Amino acid sequence: MNAVWTIAKREVFSFFVSPIAYVVMTVWLLFFGIVFYILALVFAQQAGGGGEANLLTAFFGGTTLFYLPLLVFAPVMTMRLLAEERSSGTIEPLLTAPVSEVSVVLGKYLAALTFWTVLWTPTLSYVWLVARAGKNTVDWGAIGATYLGLFSVGVFYMAVGLFMSAVARNQIVAAMLTFLVLGGLFVIGLAGYANVGDDLRAVFEYLGLWTQMASFSKGIVDTRYLVYDASIAAAALFLSVRALASGRGS
Amino acid sequence: MIEVDNLTKAYGDRLAVNGIRFSVNRGEVIGFLGPNGAGKSTTLRMLTGYLTPTDGSIRVGGIDAISNPIEARRFIGYMPESVPLYGEMRVDEYLRYRASLKGVRRSQLKARVDASLQLANITDVRYRIIGQLSKGYRSRVGLADALVADPPLLVLDEPTAGLDPNQIRQVRDLIRGMAGQKTVLLSTHILPEVESTCGRVLIIHKGRLVGEGAPSTLRVAQEGRQALVVEARGARDAVDTLLKNTRGVRGILDTVVTEQQGAAPLLRYRLEVDSSEVAEAVFAAVAAAGLSLRELHREQTSLEDVFASLTTADAAAQHAEPAPATTAPADSDPKPGASV
Repeated sequence: MNAVWTIAKREVFSFFVSPIAYVVMTVWLLFFGIVFYILALVFAQQAGGGGEANLLTAFFGGTTLFYLPLLVFAPVMTMRLLAEERSSGTIEPLLTAPVSEVSVVLGKYLAALTFWTVLWTPTLSYVWLVARAGKNTVDWGAIGATYLGLFSVGVFYMAVGLFMSAVARNQIVAAMLTFLVLGGLFVIGLAGYANVGDDLRAVFEYLGLWTQMASFSKGIVDTRYLVYDASIAAAALFLSVRALASGRGS
Repeated sequence: MIEVDNLTKAYGDRLAVNGIRFSVNRGEVIGFLGPNGAGKSTTLRMLTGYLTPTDGSIRVGGIDAISNPIEARRFIGYMPESVPLYGEMRVDEYLRYRASLKGVRRSQLKARVDASLQLANITDVRYRIIGQLSKGYRSRVGLADALVADPPLLVLDEPTAGLDPNQIRQVRDLIRGMAGQKTVLLSTHILPEVESTCGRVLIIHKGRLVGEGAPSTLRVAQEGRQALVVEARGARDAVDTLLKNTRGVRGILDTVVTEQQGAAPLLRYRLEVDSSEVAEAVFAAVAAAGLSLRELHREQTSLEDVFASLTTADAAAQHAEPAPATTAPADSDPKPGASV
Protein backbone atom coordinates (compact mmCIF):
# COMPACT_ATOMS: atom_id res chain seq x y z
CA MET A 1 0.00 0.00 0.00
CA ASN A 2 2.95 2.21 0.76
CA ALA A 3 4.21 1.63 -2.78
CA VAL A 4 0.86 2.68 -4.26
CA TRP A 5 1.11 5.99 -2.45
CA THR A 6 4.76 6.50 -3.45
CA ILE A 7 4.01 5.83 -7.11
CA ALA A 8 0.90 8.04 -7.11
CA LYS A 9 2.78 10.90 -5.47
CA ARG A 10 5.57 10.79 -8.03
CA GLU A 11 3.09 10.60 -10.90
CA VAL A 12 1.11 13.61 -9.69
CA PHE A 13 4.33 15.55 -9.17
CA SER A 14 5.52 14.62 -12.63
CA PHE A 15 2.19 15.59 -14.22
CA PHE A 16 2.16 18.99 -12.61
CA VAL A 17 5.71 19.86 -13.63
CA SER A 18 4.97 18.88 -17.23
CA PRO A 19 3.60 21.44 -19.69
CA ILE A 20 0.82 19.01 -20.59
CA ALA A 21 -0.89 19.64 -17.24
CA TYR A 22 -1.04 23.37 -17.81
CA VAL A 23 -2.15 23.06 -21.41
CA VAL A 24 -4.96 20.71 -20.38
CA MET A 25 -5.99 22.86 -17.42
CA THR A 26 -6.00 26.08 -19.43
CA VAL A 27 -7.96 24.70 -22.34
CA TRP A 28 -10.28 22.91 -19.93
CA LEU A 29 -11.09 26.01 -17.90
CA LEU A 30 -11.42 28.15 -20.97
CA PHE A 31 -13.76 25.70 -22.63
CA PHE A 32 -16.00 25.09 -19.67
CA GLY A 33 -15.90 28.78 -18.78
CA ILE A 34 -17.26 29.66 -22.20
CA VAL A 35 -19.92 26.95 -22.03
CA PHE A 36 -20.98 28.16 -18.60
CA TYR A 37 -21.07 31.76 -19.74
CA ILE A 38 -23.23 30.99 -22.74
CA LEU A 39 -25.59 28.85 -20.71
CA ALA A 40 -25.84 31.57 -18.07
CA LEU A 41 -26.63 34.09 -20.81
CA VAL A 42 -29.35 31.86 -22.22
CA PHE A 43 -30.89 31.32 -18.80
CA ALA A 44 -30.73 35.02 -17.95
CA GLN A 45 -32.58 35.90 -21.13
CA GLN A 46 -35.29 33.36 -20.55
CA ALA A 47 -38.36 34.71 -18.89
CA GLY A 48 -39.52 33.27 -15.61
CA GLY A 49 -37.61 32.84 -12.39
CA GLY A 50 -36.18 29.84 -10.69
CA GLY A 51 -33.64 29.18 -13.40
CA GLU A 52 -30.52 29.35 -11.25
CA ALA A 53 -30.57 25.78 -10.05
CA ASN A 54 -31.42 24.69 -13.56
CA LEU A 55 -28.38 26.50 -14.88
CA LEU A 56 -26.10 24.14 -12.97
CA THR A 57 -28.20 21.16 -13.95
CA ALA A 58 -28.02 22.24 -17.57
CA PHE A 59 -24.29 22.85 -17.37
CA PHE A 60 -23.41 19.48 -15.88
CA GLY A 61 -26.02 17.30 -17.47
CA GLY A 62 -28.37 19.17 -19.68
CA THR A 63 -26.60 18.41 -22.93
CA THR A 64 -24.50 15.61 -24.29
CA LEU A 65 -22.11 18.33 -25.45
CA PHE A 66 -20.79 18.17 -21.93
CA TYR A 67 -19.12 14.83 -22.77
CA LEU A 68 -17.49 15.83 -26.03
CA PRO A 69 -14.51 17.70 -24.53
CA LEU A 70 -14.10 14.89 -22.00
CA LEU A 71 -13.61 12.45 -24.86
CA VAL A 72 -10.56 14.51 -25.80
CA PHE A 73 -9.31 15.47 -22.34
CA ALA A 74 -9.47 12.02 -20.77
CA PRO A 75 -7.12 10.41 -23.35
CA VAL A 76 -4.66 13.30 -23.07
CA MET A 77 -4.63 13.03 -19.28
CA THR A 78 -4.07 9.29 -19.19
CA MET A 79 -1.91 8.64 -22.24
CA ARG A 80 1.42 9.13 -20.51
CA LEU A 81 0.74 7.04 -17.40
CA LEU A 82 2.45 3.83 -18.52
CA ALA A 83 3.20 4.38 -22.20
CA GLU A 84 5.74 7.06 -21.35
CA GLU A 85 7.46 4.81 -18.84
CA ARG A 86 7.73 2.19 -21.51
CA SER A 87 9.04 4.45 -24.28
CA SER A 88 11.58 6.16 -22.03
CA GLY A 89 12.66 2.88 -20.43
CA THR A 90 11.88 3.97 -16.87
CA ILE A 91 9.50 1.05 -16.65
CA GLU A 92 12.54 -1.16 -16.11
CA PRO A 93 13.65 0.35 -12.79
CA LEU A 94 9.98 0.55 -11.81
CA LEU A 95 9.24 -3.11 -12.47
CA THR A 96 12.49 -4.32 -10.91
CA ALA A 97 11.72 -2.55 -7.64
CA PRO A 98 10.15 -4.83 -5.05
CA VAL A 99 6.59 -3.76 -5.89
CA SER A 100 3.78 -5.72 -7.47
CA GLU A 101 2.08 -4.90 -10.75
CA VAL A 102 -1.08 -4.28 -8.74
CA SER A 103 0.68 -1.54 -6.76
CA VAL A 104 1.98 0.06 -9.94
CA VAL A 105 -1.46 0.06 -11.58
CA LEU A 106 -3.24 1.34 -8.46
CA GLY A 107 -0.62 4.04 -7.93
CA LYS A 108 -1.01 5.27 -11.49
CA TYR A 109 -4.78 5.11 -11.23
CA LEU A 110 -4.83 7.06 -8.00
CA ALA A 111 -2.72 9.72 -9.70
CA ALA A 112 -5.09 9.87 -12.68
CA LEU A 113 -8.10 10.28 -10.38
CA THR A 114 -6.22 13.07 -8.65
CA PHE A 115 -5.77 14.94 -11.96
CA TRP A 116 -9.44 14.43 -12.70
CA THR A 117 -10.48 15.82 -9.34
CA VAL A 118 -8.11 18.76 -9.60
CA LEU A 119 -9.46 19.64 -13.03
CA TRP A 120 -13.05 19.73 -11.78
CA THR A 121 -12.33 21.68 -8.62
CA PRO A 122 -12.42 25.11 -10.32
CA THR A 123 -16.00 24.44 -11.46
CA LEU A 124 -17.01 24.80 -7.83
CA SER A 125 -16.62 28.51 -8.47
CA TYR A 126 -19.59 28.28 -10.86
CA VAL A 127 -21.65 26.89 -8.04
CA TRP A 128 -20.45 29.72 -5.84
CA LEU A 129 -21.35 32.28 -8.53
CA VAL A 130 -24.84 30.88 -8.90
CA ALA A 131 -25.33 30.75 -5.14
CA ARG A 132 -24.22 34.37 -4.81
CA ALA A 133 -26.05 35.88 -7.75
CA GLY A 134 -29.16 33.77 -7.79
CA LYS A 135 -32.43 34.57 -6.13
CA ASN A 136 -33.11 31.00 -5.11
CA THR A 137 -30.79 28.94 -3.01
CA VAL A 138 -28.71 26.28 -4.64
CA ASP A 139 -29.84 22.70 -4.16
CA TRP A 140 -26.79 21.42 -2.33
CA GLY A 141 -28.00 17.86 -2.50
CA ALA A 142 -28.05 18.06 -6.26
CA ILE A 143 -24.58 19.60 -6.23
CA GLY A 144 -23.31 16.72 -4.10
CA ALA A 145 -24.89 14.22 -6.48
CA THR A 146 -23.44 16.09 -9.47
CA TYR A 147 -19.91 15.85 -8.16
CA LEU A 148 -20.41 12.23 -7.19
CA GLY A 149 -21.53 11.60 -10.77
CA LEU A 150 -18.54 13.48 -12.15
CA PHE A 151 -16.19 11.46 -10.01
CA SER A 152 -17.86 8.27 -11.16
CA VAL A 153 -17.37 9.26 -14.81
CA GLY A 154 -13.71 9.83 -13.90
CA VAL A 155 -13.49 6.39 -12.32
CA PHE A 156 -14.64 4.99 -15.66
CA TYR A 157 -12.67 7.19 -18.07
CA MET A 158 -9.38 7.20 -16.17
CA ALA A 159 -9.37 3.40 -15.86
CA VAL A 160 -9.97 2.93 -19.59
CA GLY A 161 -7.23 5.47 -20.35
CA LEU A 162 -4.82 3.73 -17.99
CA PHE A 163 -5.47 0.37 -19.61
CA MET A 164 -4.81 1.79 -23.08
CA SER A 165 -1.62 3.35 -21.78
CA ALA A 166 -0.62 -0.07 -20.46
CA VAL A 167 -1.06 -1.81 -23.81
CA ALA A 168 0.02 0.89 -26.26
CA ARG A 169 3.64 1.28 -27.22
CA ASN A 170 3.55 5.06 -27.21
CA GLN A 171 1.47 7.90 -25.89
CA ILE A 172 -0.19 8.87 -29.15
CA VAL A 173 -1.42 5.34 -29.73
CA ALA A 174 -2.66 5.21 -26.13
CA ALA A 175 -4.60 8.45 -26.59
CA MET A 176 -6.10 7.27 -29.86
CA LEU A 177 -7.19 3.94 -28.39
CA THR A 178 -8.75 5.64 -25.38
CA PHE A 179 -10.56 8.06 -27.65
CA LEU A 180 -11.74 5.15 -29.78
CA VAL A 181 -13.22 3.26 -26.84
CA LEU A 182 -14.76 6.23 -25.03
CA GLY A 183 -15.91 7.79 -28.29
CA GLY A 184 -17.22 4.45 -29.47
CA LEU A 185 -19.29 3.98 -26.34
CA PHE A 186 -20.51 7.53 -26.68
CA VAL A 187 -21.64 6.89 -30.23
CA ILE A 188 -23.49 3.79 -29.06
CA GLY A 189 -25.52 6.18 -26.96
CA LEU A 190 -26.53 7.89 -30.19
CA ALA A 191 -28.09 4.64 -31.38
CA GLY A 192 -30.75 5.26 -28.75
CA TYR A 193 -32.20 7.86 -31.11
CA ALA A 194 -32.83 5.28 -33.77
CA ASN A 195 -36.24 3.67 -33.69
CA VAL A 196 -35.18 0.73 -31.55
CA GLY A 197 -37.84 0.69 -28.89
CA ASP A 198 -37.72 2.04 -25.37
CA ASP A 199 -35.89 -0.86 -23.75
CA LEU A 200 -33.05 -0.92 -26.19
CA ARG A 201 -32.76 2.86 -26.13
CA ALA A 202 -32.34 2.76 -22.37
CA VAL A 203 -29.54 0.22 -22.77
CA PHE A 204 -27.77 2.33 -25.37
CA GLU A 205 -28.06 5.50 -23.36
CA TYR A 206 -26.87 3.68 -20.31
CA LEU A 207 -23.79 2.27 -22.06
CA GLY A 208 -22.85 5.59 -23.58
CA LEU A 209 -23.22 7.47 -20.30
CA TRP A 210 -25.52 9.94 -22.09
CA THR A 211 -27.98 10.03 -19.30
CA GLN A 212 -25.62 9.60 -16.36
CA MET A 213 -24.90 13.25 -15.74
CA ALA A 214 -28.46 14.24 -16.67
CA SER A 215 -29.65 12.09 -13.81
CA PHE A 216 -26.97 13.04 -11.26
CA SER A 217 -27.15 16.78 -11.97
CA LYS A 218 -30.81 16.69 -11.01
CA GLY A 219 -29.83 15.15 -7.71
CA ILE A 220 -30.87 11.62 -8.61
CA VAL A 221 -28.18 9.19 -7.56
CA ASP A 222 -28.75 6.29 -9.91
CA THR A 223 -26.73 3.44 -8.44
CA ARG A 224 -26.92 1.50 -11.70
CA TYR A 225 -24.49 4.05 -13.14
CA LEU A 226 -22.19 3.80 -10.16
CA VAL A 227 -22.12 0.02 -10.51
CA TYR A 228 -21.59 0.28 -14.27
CA ASP A 229 -18.71 2.76 -13.93
CA ALA A 230 -17.09 0.82 -11.15
CA SER A 231 -17.31 -2.51 -12.94
CA ILE A 232 -15.83 -1.14 -16.18
CA ALA A 233 -13.06 0.43 -14.09
CA ALA A 234 -12.38 -2.80 -12.22
CA ALA A 235 -12.18 -4.74 -15.49
CA ALA A 236 -9.87 -2.15 -17.05
CA LEU A 237 -7.59 -2.14 -13.99
CA PHE A 238 -7.46 -5.92 -13.91
CA LEU A 239 -6.52 -5.99 -17.59
CA SER A 240 -3.87 -3.32 -16.97
CA VAL A 241 -2.26 -5.53 -14.34
CA ARG A 242 -2.37 -8.46 -16.75
CA ALA A 243 -0.86 -6.32 -19.53
CA LEU A 244 2.01 -5.23 -17.27
CA ALA A 245 2.66 -8.78 -16.12
CA SER A 246 2.60 -10.22 -19.61
CA GLY A 247 5.01 -7.49 -20.72
CA ARG A 248 7.64 -9.29 -18.66
CA GLY A 249 7.44 -12.18 -21.09
CA SER A 250 8.66 -10.13 -24.02
CA MET B 1 23.78 -15.44 -3.47
CA ILE B 2 22.68 -16.31 -6.98
CA GLU B 3 21.99 -19.74 -8.36
CA VAL B 4 20.92 -19.98 -11.94
CA ASP B 5 20.16 -23.23 -13.69
CA ASN B 6 19.23 -23.91 -17.29
CA LEU B 7 18.14 -20.31 -17.74
CA THR B 8 16.56 -19.87 -21.15
CA LYS B 9 14.81 -17.03 -22.91
CA ALA B 10 13.26 -17.57 -26.29
CA TYR B 11 11.85 -14.97 -28.63
CA GLY B 12 9.94 -17.06 -31.10
CA ASP B 13 12.50 -19.46 -32.53
CA ARG B 14 15.47 -17.38 -31.48
CA LEU B 15 17.12 -18.28 -28.20
CA ALA B 16 18.47 -15.07 -26.69
CA VAL B 17 19.70 -17.02 -23.67
CA ASN B 18 20.22 -20.73 -24.01
CA GLY B 19 20.48 -22.92 -20.93
CA ILE B 20 22.85 -20.82 -18.84
CA ARG B 21 23.95 -22.20 -15.52
CA PHE B 22 26.11 -20.49 -12.92
CA SER B 23 26.23 -19.54 -9.30
CA VAL B 24 27.64 -16.58 -7.45
CA ASN B 25 28.79 -16.68 -3.86
CA ARG B 26 28.25 -14.01 -1.28
CA GLY B 27 30.85 -11.24 -1.52
CA GLU B 28 32.07 -12.16 -4.98
CA VAL B 29 32.56 -9.66 -7.77
CA ILE B 30 31.66 -11.35 -11.01
CA GLY B 31 32.08 -10.03 -14.51
CA PHE B 32 29.63 -10.95 -17.17
CA LEU B 33 31.49 -10.66 -20.40
CA GLY B 34 30.32 -10.94 -23.95
CA PRO B 35 30.06 -9.12 -27.24
CA ASN B 36 27.06 -6.91 -27.88
CA GLY B 37 23.95 -8.98 -28.41
CA ALA B 38 25.36 -12.03 -26.62
CA GLY B 39 22.48 -12.16 -24.15
CA LYS B 40 24.08 -10.36 -21.20
CA SER B 41 21.32 -7.83 -20.68
CA THR B 42 18.61 -10.42 -21.20
CA THR B 43 20.17 -12.61 -18.52
CA LEU B 44 20.47 -9.71 -16.08
CA ARG B 45 16.89 -8.68 -16.80
CA MET B 46 15.71 -12.16 -15.93
CA LEU B 47 17.76 -12.15 -12.74
CA THR B 48 16.25 -8.86 -11.66
CA GLY B 49 12.73 -9.97 -12.55
CA TYR B 50 12.15 -7.54 -15.38
CA LEU B 51 11.74 -10.43 -17.79
CA THR B 52 10.23 -13.82 -17.11
CA PRO B 53 12.43 -16.69 -18.29
CA THR B 54 11.07 -19.17 -20.80
CA ASP B 55 12.68 -21.97 -18.85
CA GLY B 56 15.05 -22.61 -15.97
CA SER B 57 15.32 -21.54 -12.38
CA ILE B 58 16.74 -18.53 -10.54
CA ARG B 59 17.42 -18.32 -6.83
CA VAL B 60 18.46 -15.04 -5.31
CA GLY B 61 19.51 -15.05 -1.68
CA GLY B 62 17.98 -18.51 -1.37
CA ILE B 63 14.59 -17.31 -2.63
CA ASP B 64 13.02 -18.66 -5.77
CA ALA B 65 12.87 -15.53 -7.92
CA ILE B 66 10.28 -16.94 -10.28
CA SER B 67 7.63 -17.97 -7.79
CA ASN B 68 8.46 -15.21 -5.32
CA PRO B 69 9.68 -12.29 -7.42
CA ILE B 70 9.00 -9.40 -5.04
CA GLU B 71 10.88 -10.97 -2.16
CA ALA B 72 13.80 -11.79 -4.44
CA ARG B 73 13.93 -8.24 -5.80
CA ARG B 74 14.46 -6.90 -2.29
CA PHE B 75 17.97 -8.34 -2.40
CA ILE B 76 18.89 -6.62 -5.61
CA GLY B 77 20.09 -3.15 -6.49
CA TYR B 78 19.86 -2.98 -10.25
CA MET B 79 21.31 -0.49 -12.65
CA PRO B 80 19.86 -1.10 -16.11
CA GLU B 81 21.80 -0.51 -19.28
CA SER B 82 21.45 3.07 -20.61
CA VAL B 83 20.14 4.09 -17.16
CA PRO B 84 16.57 5.27 -17.73
CA LEU B 85 15.63 8.06 -15.31
CA TYR B 86 12.80 10.56 -14.86
CA GLY B 87 14.28 13.65 -16.46
CA GLU B 88 11.87 16.05 -14.76
CA MET B 89 12.89 15.12 -11.22
CA ARG B 90 15.75 16.41 -9.14
CA VAL B 91 18.44 13.91 -8.14
CA ASP B 92 17.49 14.14 -4.50
CA GLU B 93 13.77 13.69 -5.21
CA TYR B 94 14.45 10.75 -7.47
CA LEU B 95 16.57 8.92 -4.92
CA ARG B 96 14.03 9.56 -2.18
CA TYR B 97 11.32 8.19 -4.44
CA ARG B 98 13.38 5.11 -5.29
CA ALA B 99 14.33 4.50 -1.68
CA SER B 100 10.75 4.65 -0.50
CA LEU B 101 9.66 2.41 -3.40
CA LYS B 102 12.25 -0.09 -2.24
CA GLY B 103 10.85 -0.01 1.26
CA VAL B 104 13.43 2.13 3.05
CA ARG B 105 11.84 3.44 6.24
CA ARG B 106 10.96 7.10 6.45
CA SER B 107 13.30 7.64 9.35
CA GLN B 108 16.25 6.26 7.38
CA LEU B 109 15.39 7.88 4.09
CA LYS B 110 17.65 10.89 4.38
CA ALA B 111 20.59 8.92 5.69
CA ARG B 112 20.32 6.36 2.91
CA VAL B 113 20.00 9.01 0.19
CA ASP B 114 23.00 10.88 1.63
CA ALA B 115 25.06 7.71 1.73
CA SER B 116 24.24 6.70 -1.83
CA LEU B 117 24.95 10.21 -3.13
CA GLN B 118 28.30 10.05 -1.43
CA LEU B 119 29.16 6.56 -2.69
CA ALA B 120 28.32 7.48 -6.25
CA ASN B 121 30.15 10.80 -5.77
CA ILE B 122 27.29 12.99 -6.95
CA THR B 123 26.54 15.02 -3.83
CA ASP B 124 27.40 18.17 -5.82
CA VAL B 125 24.45 17.67 -8.21
CA ARG B 126 22.00 16.69 -5.50
CA TYR B 127 19.52 19.48 -6.27
CA ARG B 128 19.98 19.50 -10.02
CA ILE B 129 17.29 18.36 -12.44
CA ILE B 130 18.20 14.95 -13.86
CA GLY B 131 17.30 15.88 -17.43
CA GLN B 132 19.99 18.56 -17.40
CA LEU B 133 22.80 16.32 -16.21
CA SER B 134 25.59 14.96 -18.39
CA LYS B 135 25.67 11.29 -19.28
CA GLY B 136 28.40 10.60 -16.73
CA TYR B 137 26.32 12.08 -13.94
CA ARG B 138 23.18 10.33 -15.09
CA SER B 139 24.83 6.95 -15.00
CA ARG B 140 26.11 7.66 -11.50
CA VAL B 141 22.57 8.61 -10.48
CA GLY B 142 21.65 5.12 -11.69
CA LEU B 143 24.42 3.72 -9.55
CA ALA B 144 23.21 5.67 -6.53
CA ASP B 145 19.74 4.26 -7.17
CA ALA B 146 21.15 0.73 -7.14
CA LEU B 147 22.86 1.47 -3.82
CA VAL B 148 20.14 3.47 -2.10
CA ALA B 149 18.37 0.63 -0.31
CA ASP B 150 21.69 -0.93 0.69
CA PRO B 151 20.98 -4.27 -1.00
CA PRO B 152 23.35 -7.21 -0.56
CA LEU B 153 23.46 -7.86 -4.31
CA LEU B 154 24.27 -5.33 -7.00
CA VAL B 155 23.47 -6.06 -10.62
CA LEU B 156 25.09 -3.49 -12.87
CA ASP B 157 24.56 -3.57 -16.61
CA GLU B 158 27.54 -1.86 -18.21
CA PRO B 159 28.13 0.51 -15.30
CA THR B 160 30.97 2.46 -16.90
CA ALA B 161 29.35 3.13 -20.26
CA GLY B 162 29.48 6.82 -21.05
CA LEU B 163 31.88 7.75 -18.29
CA ASP B 164 35.19 9.56 -18.78
CA PRO B 165 38.41 7.81 -17.73
CA ASN B 166 38.48 9.43 -14.28
CA GLN B 167 34.90 8.48 -13.57
CA ILE B 168 35.54 4.97 -14.84
CA ARG B 169 38.36 4.65 -12.33
CA GLN B 170 36.12 5.94 -9.55
CA VAL B 171 33.40 3.46 -10.38
CA ARG B 172 35.91 0.61 -10.55
CA ASP B 173 37.38 1.64 -7.22
CA LEU B 174 33.89 1.76 -5.78
CA ILE B 175 33.10 -1.73 -7.06
CA ARG B 176 36.41 -3.12 -5.85
CA GLY B 177 35.78 -1.49 -2.50
CA MET B 178 32.52 -3.36 -2.15
CA ALA B 179 34.08 -6.77 -2.72
CA GLY B 180 33.57 -8.87 0.36
CA GLN B 181 30.67 -6.79 1.70
CA LYS B 182 28.42 -6.95 -1.31
CA THR B 183 27.96 -9.39 -4.12
CA VAL B 184 28.39 -7.66 -7.43
CA LEU B 185 27.41 -8.95 -10.84
CA LEU B 186 28.42 -6.58 -13.58
CA SER B 187 28.22 -6.92 -17.31
CA THR B 188 30.58 -5.37 -19.76
CA HIS B 189 32.19 -5.81 -23.10
CA ILE B 190 35.27 -3.90 -21.96
CA LEU B 191 37.96 -6.39 -20.99
CA PRO B 192 40.26 -4.25 -18.84
CA GLU B 193 37.22 -3.58 -16.69
CA VAL B 194 36.89 -7.24 -15.88
CA GLU B 195 40.61 -7.73 -15.32
CA SER B 196 40.74 -4.80 -12.94
CA THR B 197 37.58 -5.38 -10.92
CA CYS B 198 36.33 -8.92 -11.06
CA GLY B 199 37.37 -12.00 -9.16
CA ARG B 200 35.66 -14.25 -11.64
CA VAL B 201 34.50 -13.95 -15.20
CA LEU B 202 31.62 -15.57 -17.04
CA ILE B 203 31.97 -15.35 -20.78
CA ILE B 204 28.72 -15.48 -22.67
CA HIS B 205 28.33 -15.75 -26.39
CA LYS B 206 25.23 -16.27 -28.50
CA GLY B 207 23.21 -16.99 -25.39
CA ARG B 208 25.56 -19.65 -24.08
CA LEU B 209 28.16 -19.71 -21.38
CA VAL B 210 31.43 -20.38 -23.18
CA GLY B 211 33.99 -19.76 -20.45
CA GLU B 212 34.24 -19.30 -16.74
CA GLY B 213 37.03 -18.64 -14.27
CA ALA B 214 39.31 -16.03 -12.73
CA PRO B 215 40.72 -13.59 -15.28
CA SER B 216 44.20 -14.97 -14.59
CA THR B 217 43.27 -18.63 -14.96
CA LEU B 218 41.41 -17.94 -18.15
CA ARG B 219 44.58 -16.39 -19.47
CA VAL B 220 46.62 -19.39 -18.31
CA ALA B 221 44.25 -21.72 -20.07
CA GLN B 222 45.37 -20.11 -23.26
CA GLU B 223 49.08 -20.11 -22.41
CA GLY B 224 49.72 -23.31 -24.39
CA ARG B 225 49.37 -21.19 -27.46
CA GLN B 226 52.37 -18.93 -27.32
CA ALA B 227 53.33 -16.77 -30.20
CA LEU B 228 56.59 -15.15 -31.11
CA VAL B 229 56.90 -12.22 -33.47
CA VAL B 230 60.06 -12.14 -35.55
CA GLU B 231 61.03 -9.50 -38.04
CA ALA B 232 64.11 -10.41 -40.08
CA ARG B 233 65.67 -9.55 -43.40
CA GLY B 234 66.52 -12.26 -45.87
CA ALA B 235 65.34 -14.36 -48.77
CA ARG B 236 61.91 -15.64 -47.95
CA ASP B 237 62.50 -19.36 -48.57
CA ALA B 238 65.72 -19.33 -46.58
CA VAL B 239 64.16 -17.60 -43.61
CA ASP B 240 61.11 -19.87 -43.73
CA THR B 241 63.26 -22.98 -43.60
CA LEU B 242 65.52 -21.55 -40.95
CA LEU B 243 62.66 -20.67 -38.62
CA LYS B 244 60.77 -23.91 -39.16
CA ASN B 245 63.84 -25.92 -38.29
CA THR B 246 64.58 -24.01 -35.11
CA ARG B 247 63.93 -26.19 -32.09
CA GLY B 248 60.68 -25.34 -30.28
CA VAL B 249 58.98 -23.73 -33.25
CA ARG B 250 55.76 -25.55 -34.04
CA GLY B 251 54.93 -23.66 -37.14
CA ILE B 252 54.48 -20.37 -38.88
CA LEU B 253 51.15 -18.73 -38.17
CA ASP B 254 51.49 -16.00 -40.74
CA THR B 255 54.06 -14.03 -42.71
CA VAL B 256 53.93 -10.46 -43.88
CA VAL B 257 56.41 -8.78 -46.16
CA THR B 258 56.82 -5.41 -44.55
CA GLU B 259 59.50 -4.02 -46.82
CA GLN B 260 60.16 -5.31 -50.33
CA GLN B 261 63.79 -4.68 -51.21
CA GLY B 262 65.34 -6.81 -53.91
CA ALA B 263 66.50 -10.24 -52.84
CA ALA B 264 66.37 -9.47 -49.12
CA PRO B 265 62.94 -8.23 -48.11
CA LEU B 266 62.01 -7.49 -44.53
CA LEU B 267 59.73 -10.28 -43.31
CA ARG B 268 57.49 -10.33 -40.31
CA TYR B 269 56.57 -13.74 -38.92
CA ARG B 270 54.25 -14.89 -36.24
CA LEU B 271 55.45 -18.23 -34.96
CA GLU B 272 53.68 -20.73 -32.83
CA VAL B 273 56.18 -21.87 -30.23
CA ASP B 274 56.37 -24.26 -27.29
CA SER B 275 57.52 -21.69 -24.78
CA SER B 276 58.85 -18.20 -24.60
CA GLU B 277 62.42 -19.53 -24.27
CA VAL B 278 62.31 -20.37 -27.95
CA ALA B 279 63.02 -16.70 -28.58
CA GLU B 280 66.63 -17.30 -27.60
CA ALA B 281 66.97 -20.17 -30.05
CA VAL B 282 65.44 -18.09 -32.81
CA PHE B 283 67.85 -15.28 -32.10
CA ALA B 284 70.82 -17.66 -32.16
CA ALA B 285 69.67 -19.28 -35.40
CA VAL B 286 69.10 -15.99 -37.18
CA ALA B 287 72.45 -14.67 -35.98
CA ALA B 288 74.25 -17.85 -37.03
CA ALA B 289 72.77 -17.59 -40.51
CA GLY B 290 74.15 -14.08 -40.73
CA LEU B 291 70.72 -12.51 -41.20
CA SER B 292 69.76 -9.22 -39.67
CA LEU B 293 67.04 -9.14 -37.07
CA ARG B 294 64.91 -6.08 -36.52
CA GLU B 295 62.45 -7.25 -33.94
CA LEU B 296 61.81 -10.23 -31.73
CA HIS B 297 59.17 -10.38 -29.05
CA ARG B 298 56.68 -12.59 -27.33
CA GLU B 299 53.05 -12.02 -28.05
CA GLN B 300 51.33 -11.97 -24.72
CA THR B 301 48.03 -13.70 -24.39
CA SER B 302 45.66 -11.15 -23.01
CA LEU B 303 42.13 -11.70 -21.88
CA GLU B 304 41.20 -10.18 -25.20
CA ASP B 305 42.68 -13.16 -27.00
CA VAL B 306 40.84 -15.54 -24.72
CA PHE B 307 37.68 -13.63 -25.35
CA ALA B 308 38.26 -13.51 -29.08
CA SER B 309 39.02 -17.20 -29.36
CA LEU B 310 36.02 -18.10 -27.26
CA THR B 311 33.57 -15.86 -29.04
CA THR B 312 34.57 -16.31 -32.65
CA ALA B 313 34.01 -19.17 -35.04
CA ASP B 314 32.40 -22.28 -33.62
CA ALA B 315 33.60 -21.69 -30.10
CA ALA B 316 30.02 -21.15 -29.01
CA ALA B 317 29.40 -24.85 -29.29
CA GLN B 318 32.02 -25.60 -26.66
CA HIS B 319 31.46 -25.20 -22.99
CA ALA B 320 33.43 -24.22 -19.91
CA GLU B 321 37.08 -25.25 -20.31
CA PRO B 322 38.01 -23.72 -23.61
CA ALA B 323 39.97 -25.60 -26.22
CA PRO B 324 42.20 -23.07 -27.90
CA ALA B 325 41.25 -22.15 -31.43
CA THR B 326 43.92 -22.87 -33.98
CA THR B 327 44.45 -19.37 -35.22
CA ALA B 328 44.09 -16.05 -33.59
CA PRO B 329 41.80 -13.61 -35.38
CA ALA B 330 43.50 -11.58 -38.05
CA ASP B 331 42.87 -8.27 -36.35
CA SER B 332 44.64 -9.08 -33.10
CA ASP B 333 47.58 -6.73 -32.91
CA PRO B 334 50.86 -7.99 -31.59
CA LYS B 335 51.20 -7.00 -27.99
CA PRO B 336 54.20 -4.99 -26.94
CA GLY B 337 56.62 -7.34 -25.26
CA ALA B 338 60.34 -7.82 -24.80
CA SER B 339 62.05 -6.71 -27.95
CA VAL B 340 65.58 -7.75 -28.71
